[in-house]
Amino acid sequence: MVNAQPRNHTAEPVVPFWRNVKVIGILAQVAFVLVLVAGVGILVNNVTTALARANLPADFSFLRNPAGIPIAERPIPYQVTDTYARALLIGFLNTLKIAVVGVALATLIGVLVGVMRLSANWLLRTLATVYVEVLRNIPLAVQIVFWYSAILLPFPPRISDPVALPGGLLLSNVGLAFPALYPTYRFGSWVPFLVAAAVLAALAALWRVRQLRRLDQVGRVWPYPLVAFLVVAGGGLAFSYADRSVPPELAVSFDAERGRGTTTIAEDGRSRPAAFVPVRISLPTATLTTTSQNLVESREVVHGTFRFPLIKESEAEAFEFAFADPEAAAAQGLALHFTAFPSVGIVYADRNGNGELDEGEDVDPATGRGYGGQGVVMTLTGFERVVVSDRDGQVRMPLFKAPSAAEQAAAEPTTPAAGGGRFSAFGQAATSSGAAEVTLEATTELLPVGALVLSRAHVPVSNYEGGMRFTVNYLALLLALVIYTSAFIAEIVRGGILAVPKGQREAAHAVGLSGYQTFTLVVFPQAMRVVLPPMISQYLNLTKNSSLASLAGYAELFVIASVVSNQTGAAIPIALLLIGAYLLISLAFSLVLNNVNARLALVER
Amino acid sequence: MALIPPRPAPVPTSGPVYWLRRNLFSGPFNTVLTLVTGAVVAWALYNLATFVFVDASWEQVWRNMKLFGVYRYPTQYLWRPLLVAGVMLGLMGAMSGVAGRRSIIGSAFFALQGFVALVSVVAVLFWPSVRFLWPMALAIGFAGYLVGLRWPRVVRHLPWAWTVWLVGGAVLLLGVDSGGPFGRVPIRDWGGFLLTLILFTGIVPSFPIGVALALGRQSKLPAIKYFCIGFIEVVRGAPLIMWLFIASLLLPLILDVDANSLPAIMRAYVAITLFSAAYMAENVRGGLQAVPRGQSEAARALGLSAWQTTYLIVLPQALRAVIPAIVGQAIGLFKDTSLVFIVGLVDFFKVADIVSVQPESLLVTGGVKLEVFLFIAAIYFFFAYRMSIASRQLERRLGVGER
Repeated sequence: MVNAQPRNHTAEPVVPFWRNVKVIGILAQVAFVLVLVAGVGILVNNVTTALARANLPADFSFLRNPAGIPIAERPIPYQVTDTYARALLIGFLNTLKIAVVGVALATLIGVLVGVMRLSANWLLRTLATVYVEVLRNIPLAVQIVFWYSAILLPFPPRISDPVALPGGLLLSNVGLAFPALYPTYRFGSWVPFLVAAAVLAALAALWRVRQLRRLDQVGRVWPYPLVAFLVVAGGGLAFSYADRSVPPELAVSFDAERGRGTTTIAEDGRSRPAAFVPVRISLPTATLTTTSQNLVESREVVHGTFRFPLIKESEAEAFEFAFADPEAAAAQGLALHFTAFPSVGIVYADRNGNGELDEGEDVDPATGRGYGGQGVVMTLTGFERVVVSDRDGQVRMPLFKAPSAAEQAAAEPTTPAAGGGRFSAFGQAATSSGAAEVTLEATTELLPVGALVLSRAHVPVSNYEGGMRFTVNYLALLLALVIYTSAFIAEIVRGGILAVPKGQREAAHAVGLSGYQTFTLVVFPQAMRVVLPPMISQYLNLTKNSSLASLAGYAELFVIASVVSNQTGAAIPIALLLIGAYLLISLAFSLVLNNVNARLALVER
Repeated sequence: MALIPPRPAPVPTSGPVYWLRRNLFSGPFNTVLTLVTGAVVAWALYNLATFVFVDASWEQVWRNMKLFGVYRYPTQYLWRPLLVAGVMLGLMGAMSGVAGRRSIIGSAFFALQGFVALVSVVAVLFWPSVRFLWPMALAIGFAGYLVGLRWPRVVRHLPWAWTVWLVGGAVLLLGVDSGGPFGRVPIRDWGGFLLTLILFTGIVPSFPIGVALALGRQSKLPAIKYFCIGFIEVVRGAPLIMWLFIASLLLPLILDVDANSLPAIMRAYVAITLFSAAYMAENVRGGLQAVPRGQSEAARALGLSAWQTTYLIVLPQALRAVIPAIVGQAIGLFKDTSLVFIVGLVDFFKVADIVSVQPESLLVTGGVKLEVFLFIAAIYFFFAYRMSIASRQLERRLGVGER
């Protein structure tokens, strides 16, 4: 605008050069660039002298040094001895991990709430409005801390007592674990099938496109390559399961006392850990010991709770329970009440002798507290569990002990009533005596497997093993990000639906479409065009907001970068790397946005 | 002669029963939906109410009110922040008096005064050290309103008054070295909601910078244009928490000063202002693009210079159109001030964190995290929601939403 001065249209250009717009423009730019260069030069000079004075790194060579940062959450293998570069890469992958899942869930909830805000039902509409207004107007930082340290950390069941949800899901204050499929040592035999399936799918797609063009028809392309792929790949998978033998190179060593084992594979005379091998571990008889505790859970005092590692009732033939000090327990009339058989329960004094936990029986009248500090012994017979070794070939089991002769001799029936419950008192069933079993017997058996193995999560000691895990940090951050972003997406969706002219809806009804068809075929596609650009900027916001991960203890890019920066003092290289990484993400999102806009424009015609 | 049979009474189209049938029970599906949602809502509300009124222990929140308000600002100097707040209310009151009680600024002012009145009552009853100070702030607010009502011409002096308030307020909060009633309060003792509000004023300097960047982005001079584009896009591309972190590390290096001589609040303020300016620039650009070309062409035809065209014709229209967006950005900034914990500042949010891990808090069965964070969430919500109401009113008033 500066150089758009009105032109003098008289005979000759009499504008002197100091009033010539072009000259002024060029001079202004030169001056600006000079000031900029000088300013930046002074600042850079300041920085380099300051760095040199403080002896801090100013280049990227520190990235090759060992990081020494423990990271709990790692999508790719990582050890503390790995380099800073790898630690930062883990952070970047963790950012992507939360961003991708977060975007999908936020869209789902956001669209749902956005549609709810336009519902004809007053209650639903109001509920959605309250949801949006409350969550939009509370800082995300507050919401993350709220979910993490006020809700998820103190409230859900402890890892020693996880909630088993349908589908093999385990939920506790350590996180959520669920079954997952992993590639085994036989995966290699499936690869040719996968390649063949991909080639066939491509050919099928090509053929279908040509057929449609030849017949000049409109039709779907995707079912043909999909079916072709599924048939060939599925056949290959089934074929990989046909071999029911276990290769002789495979071996497992298991130390039952330590509860640890390794699956190995021998190759060229050397054995190395074999990942994802299913092993059946059986123990003819074993014991577990724990101590009851008085503790606070979900803001309530829970008296005399005892917890064994999570064991399913179906995993053993028989369970027997006893107190570690049977005489003292019998003197007080102590008994066990299970809240989750056979792992969790409460120690109580069965004062009225009815064999059930009644009001007040969990509190010792002498002390006013629960029966904490009581040793409880579980004896299992015929225990059997199938576990899949992890990525490093490791197998973990609960820390079983051999039932020693001394314990057996000491074991007495605890209470007569306890024997009548769901478990038999230890003393009644234990008859063996004399022969001192010192070492714990365990038999291991490698199971045959195909290209993929289903690994289920279990809790051997105090953390999940097997399956796939979301830590509680990840869950809290995800929850907060998804809920916060979904409130914004709901508003965008609502705006988009309202932006579709009323006539469109009326016309759709007039041609006989149902309400559902009107929405999915007429309103929604048109709303998408308005909705997508702001929606993608919300996706970008979600990704950038994941940098608040430190509030939930999640090792995301910014968190790791700040740790690295504090360790090495390499503030400037780290700052450049961070800016670069975030610009990369922004660029990726704007590429997607442009692509989507182009496609929507095509649909628009 | 047969009589025409009487027609049935018309179905009522008003009244509570009609409203219920229409909005909640208009069909089997809707009825089921209402019942299920109603049950869930009732259950949630019951649990929330039980927690808030029965189970929660608000003791720790109540006892640490001063920390939440001003952190370690000395008690004998509390009249200073409250005087600054009072004068702010007074100036807002004067604007409301001029614009009217039902204007947008007026309704915001009275909502704020309601909040201050509530706190005043509590202060008079329970907090001896600020017993007279909160009512004083309230009174200054109403005095300002009456002045605005009586002498509407004060509106001409308000820009100056706001500037004096901004500078004078900063000086008053900081104090002077001489001691006495104006004793120096070191910046590291500032905190709590006071700090949140101070950082929130970063929106003010970000406005001229943002406008300059927006104009620069529209410039035909490539050097200026690409500098502005680069600045805006790079700053907007990365999260604020990263800029705060970088500012806290790099500002002392860049300016080549001792790290201790540059208080954390200053570094955070610079980062917040520049970050906000980049977003402001994009909002203003939206407004600049919305001004029809004919406006500036007509101005040029009338003989206005390029600068006159920009300042007298284009900017007033552009800024008017983006006022709701700027209020929206202010809400975002208000929420984002909670990120300054990363540079070690103790704002309202960080105080909650500190209170929740005090030894007394840990003694409470189950901790007090839930109480503390519900409390600050409620306060943040009150201010942010009030601003979003104002934003919506502005949108309706300016007709931006209907375009």
